Amino acid sequence: MAARNLSGFLVLVLVIAICEAAFVFHPITDAHRSAALDLFTPLDGSFSSLEEAYEALRSFEILGIDKKPDIRSTTCHSVLETLGSSSSSPKDLYHALRVNGILKCEVKEELFEGIVLSLKAIVSSASSLLEFYYSIGSLALIKDQSSNANVLLSDAAGVFRSIKALSQSDGRWRYGSNNPESSTSAAGLAFKALAGVIALASSEIDQAMLGTLKNDISKLFDSVEKYDDGAFYFDEKVVEAHEHQGPLSTTASVVRGITALADVTSGNIKLPGDKILGLAKFFLGIGVPGDTKDFFNQIDSLASLENNRVSVPLILSLPATVLSLSKKDQLKVKVNTVLGSNSPPLTVKLVRASRSGSKDGSIIESQDLKFDKESDSHFLDLPKTVDVGKFVFVFEVVLHDSELEKVYATGGQTQVPVFITGFIKVENAEIAVLDSDLGSVESLKKLDFAGESIVLLSANHLQKLRLSFQLTTPLGLAFKPHQLVEKLVRLQVFLKLRHETKVDHIFVVGNSGKKFEILLDFLGLVEKFYYLSGSYDIELTVGDTVMENSFLKAIGKIELDLPEAPEKAPRPPLQPVDPYSRYGPKAEISHIFRAPEKRPPKELSLAFLGLTFVPLVGFLIGLLCLGVNFKNFPSSAVPATFAILFHLGIAAVLLLYVLFWLKLDLFTTLKVLGFLGAFLLFVGHRILSHLASSSAKLKSA
Amino acid sequence: MQRLLVFLTAISLIPLLCNSFSPENPTDRRLLVLLDDFSLKSTHSIFFQSLKSRGFDLDFKLADDPKLSLQRYGQYLYDGLILFSPTTESFGGSLNLGAVLDFVDSGHDLILAADASPSDLIRNVATEFGVDFDEDSSAVVIDHTNYAVSETEGDHTLIASDNFIQSDVILGKTKIEAPVLFKGVAHSLNAANSLVLNVLSASPSAYSSNPIFKSSRPPSLTGSAISLVSVVQARNNARILISGSLDLFSNRLFSSVVQKAGSSHKYKKSGNKQYVTELSKWVFHERGHLKAVNIRHHKIGETDEPAVYRIKDDLDFSVEIYEWSGKSWEPYVANDIQVQFYMMSPYVLKTLITDQKGLYYTSFKVPDIYGVFQFKVEYQKLGYTTLSLSKQIPVRPFKHNEYERFITTAFPYYGASFTTMAGFFIFSFIFLYNKSQ
Repeated sequence: MAARNLSGFLVLVLVIAICEAAFVFHPITDAHRSAALDLFTPLDGSFSSLEEAYEALRSFEILGIDKKPDIRSTTCHSVLETLGSSSSSPKDLYHALRVNGILKCEVKEELFEGIVLSLKAIVSSASSLLEFYYSIGSLALIKDQSSNANVLLSDAAGVFRSIKALSQSDGRWRYGSNNPESSTSAAGLAFKALAGVIALASSEIDQAMLGTLKNDISKLFDSVEKYDDGAFYFDEKVVEAHEHQGPLSTTASVVRGITALADVTSGNIKLPGDKILGLAKFFLGIGVPGDTKDFFNQIDSLASLENNRVSVPLILSLPATVLSLSKKDQLKVKVNTVLGSNSPPLTVKLVRASRSGSKDGSIIESQDLKFDKESDSHFLDLPKTVDVGKFVFVFEVVLHDSELEKVYATGGQTQVPVFITGFIKVENAEIAVLDSDLGSVESLKKLDFAGESIVLLSANHLQKLRLSFQLTTPLGLAFKPHQLVEKLVRLQVFLKLRHETKVDHIFVVGNSGKKFEILLDFLGLVEKFYYLSGSYDIELTVGDTVMENSFLKAIGKIELDLPEAPEKAPRPPLQPVDPYSRYGPKAEISHIFRAPEKRPPKELSLAFLGLTFVPLVGFLIGLLCLGVNFKNFPSSAVPATFAILFHLGIAAVLLLYVLFWLKLDLFTTLKVLGFLGAFLLFVGHRILSHLASSSAKLKSA
Repeated sequence: MQRLLVFLTAISLIPLLCNSFSPENPTDRRLLVLLDDFSLKSTHSIFFQSLKSRGFDLDFKLADDPKLSLQRYGQYLYDGLILFSPTTESFGGSLNLGAVLDFVDSGHDLILAADASPSDLIRNVATEFGVDFDEDSSAVVIDHTNYAVSETEGDHTLIASDNFIQSDVILGKTKIEAPVLFKGVAHSLNAANSLVLNVLSASPSAYSSNPIFKSSRPPSLTGSAISLVSVVQARNNARILISGSLDLFSNRLFSSVVQKAGSSHKYKKSGNKQYVTELSKWVFHERGHLKAVNIRHHKIGETDEPAVYRIKDDLDFSVEIYEWSGKSWEPYVANDIQVQFYMMSPYVLKTLITDQKGLYYTSFKVPDIYGVFQFKVEYQKLGYTTLSLSKQIPVRPFKHNEYERFITTAFPYYGASFTTMAGFFIFSFIFLYNKSQ
């Protein structure tokens, strides 16, 4: 767990370190101030606990923020409540007293006296480190806040010994006598508590005891861990499942303890200055934490380091590590304390500056920077011989007053990577199509990167394309490319050919002794080009980290005539689909209905309908011409009735057919037809037999 | 004692279950955040705070916590997963690549942030979603023309990009003014994957390479083929965000000043906060989640839905579509929703008309083909969840008595029959009663 936490934190800090351009630490700035106001925002005018309120108030106090939220009345109310309550634990009292120390709430003296008595009782009976820590811390706070209360411990040496009994041989401490696990964080708490004991002691503490304590401290510092960038920190060997027991809170705890001890022993504690500086670098390297606890730990520890009696770290920082030759930037260096206050009079010395990663000698050696009082910074005009590139500048801080060397920790030499940028001229650029076998130049065109003009070329697979140009650094010396490449950091010279179908090919332009040159032999590239003939856009990218005029430019188009692709030729890779065209409404579809059958015009049908009446009319006219009569119609009543019924029957059947055509279905029709048929049969038989008998009578007559 | 424990666990789970992801309330609620280190909670606190303030429950765990588990008793404990652990080689507990994929396959969302040299595990997770990180593990994105100007960072690896995807639903309606700062590893999108979208792309001059060592080989990824941030919306509407930079979410880049190289305008704050917040709203279904209800169809002039249509019937079709706003369902307004009348292939495809209140309707004539048809609404739009509805309806041909009855063309035949009948009727009199002289 510890290893994991550690490695994780290591990664994080390294990432931050890289982000912050390795090894440059900056003192606390306004970014912290605005972050503090964002982080410590009280809910409904108060913080959820007194501990949080203290963290907020203390951070505001250290950062000198005036525009803090107004929480005085509500917070003071809960301070008085906590102090007045008899059930408050030493921890609650401690936090309440800490808040009171800042807010100066009106606490009655009698209240303090009562608390002092109960705290003293706790101190004398305490067995765990936290009990000591909180009760002694509270007493020390009361000492500052109340003039009358008798807070001095009569048996300071005894208390000192009982706390000291918790120390371990490796410099770490235990939280309690029955808790075998030791912790680095506890060491910090113990130092703070011991510092309180010394401050509260009614008589001097034995120097021998202080001697063993110093021994403990130096043992603890043996276990300090170090990052590559010179930051020192403490971490727990065994991390309990407590959330805030990361390296930050552990280191903060130790720093608070040590500085408190150093204060009460009037600087009797000696620690190497580079370790103190390393601890300060650790806190500064974290950046701006987004967590209130981390933020408080960082700011509070830095504040303890700012004025500690061991040695005050001085942070050398560069406002800018990217210097432009074209803007004639000056090299500026600031030296401040961790919280950004001014340093004592000193001189910053540039020990040497050498090109990063090269074995060449240094370009600048031991120069003193001039001091500018107005901006409170040290500066140096870059000598004319400095060219672009990435350099490592080594600085040293020399204090004017050598007495102060004991008070301040400057950390010896500081290495800072510096980028010096400038304009790189591109000259003598030309592009040409060559004939392969003869090498003769077919078309040669000069390129002007300043203008917008593009060149148009055409070539077939037997020809070659040549592009060449020279790069010149600001010093005006036409360097040979390989020298130039060494100066540049991340030279990017790409030639890109893009086919109409968005298939593109990248070539790195190499250098050929005198200039940058690339020769594309299309014969060898047909396969790589997937045998795609057609227009290719030519784009040239020239860029570098120290080149201020890096560019990407379309320089022209080339019409390539490549042979037909053989069957097994590789196919061009899939190109991603444009997300905008992938979706969207589809074209509407409407059904095409089957066309109705063709029909003759209505008039024609009606005309033929008329024609169908012609035979009937002819028939009737024929009948009239023939002179038909109805003389055979029976004269007697019964046969006449049957005759009428018979013809009515026939008319009914015909009418039924009409109805069948109009609306009736087959079943109804057949049913009715059945009845009508029977009826017709009967009346038909009667009338026909009557007619037959009457005609027989006629014949026989 | 054990019983009491079980009871307490059950009680404590009830509010979780009630709050969880459901079709009616599609916003995620419970998120599992896997970190390499707890200090990330502090360095990325603004991002986490913005999630918390939007009502998410964040559960922070170390990526190798041996008790990690996404589900218990077959129920998922979380609605979303945030993988801020670019260096984790293997997850702790029961979590592994397969479990992450199952989690997404069951419709849950994922945010994955890598950083320079991501671990194989993180690469594999990304590959599953169609995102391939640069194979060179030490490569980062470098851009010499579109970097963020900084006085202290000279290596041009802090990219200021404003090549956002043009989509209001993914990035919100408010335009992101300031460029987004990016520092990390490049990835490319698998061209065969049609679900993955590039939401922040690099400029044409960018390339992916090792920032320290020089190499003569052309970089594997260059120009616009480099994607910095990508999103995926799976077919089950699970959403995935993959970023090549963990710093993109960090407090430091959220609050840093941005000046793009070559431009004199200095933005006080980068666009990162807005960009990341809006993206996370999209990923966790606070936006762009559609639902369709009340699919209705009936013959024109009727109100009841018939069991079957006859060919050539005229019908009305309507559907209501709503978008989830994070709190409630709001009417969705668009003009590109289409309905298909479908049997093997669409016979009718029509764009629906909207009343601006969520109702979409149209009317059309049933084709003269009978068979079993479907009303289909297949709606896919950039950034929105896919709507895929279908409702089956048979179509029958005309009945025998539904054809046209009295066709003019046939009148001569009718005329012939009836004149014959009339002739017969007259003839019957003549035949029976005529007395020849």
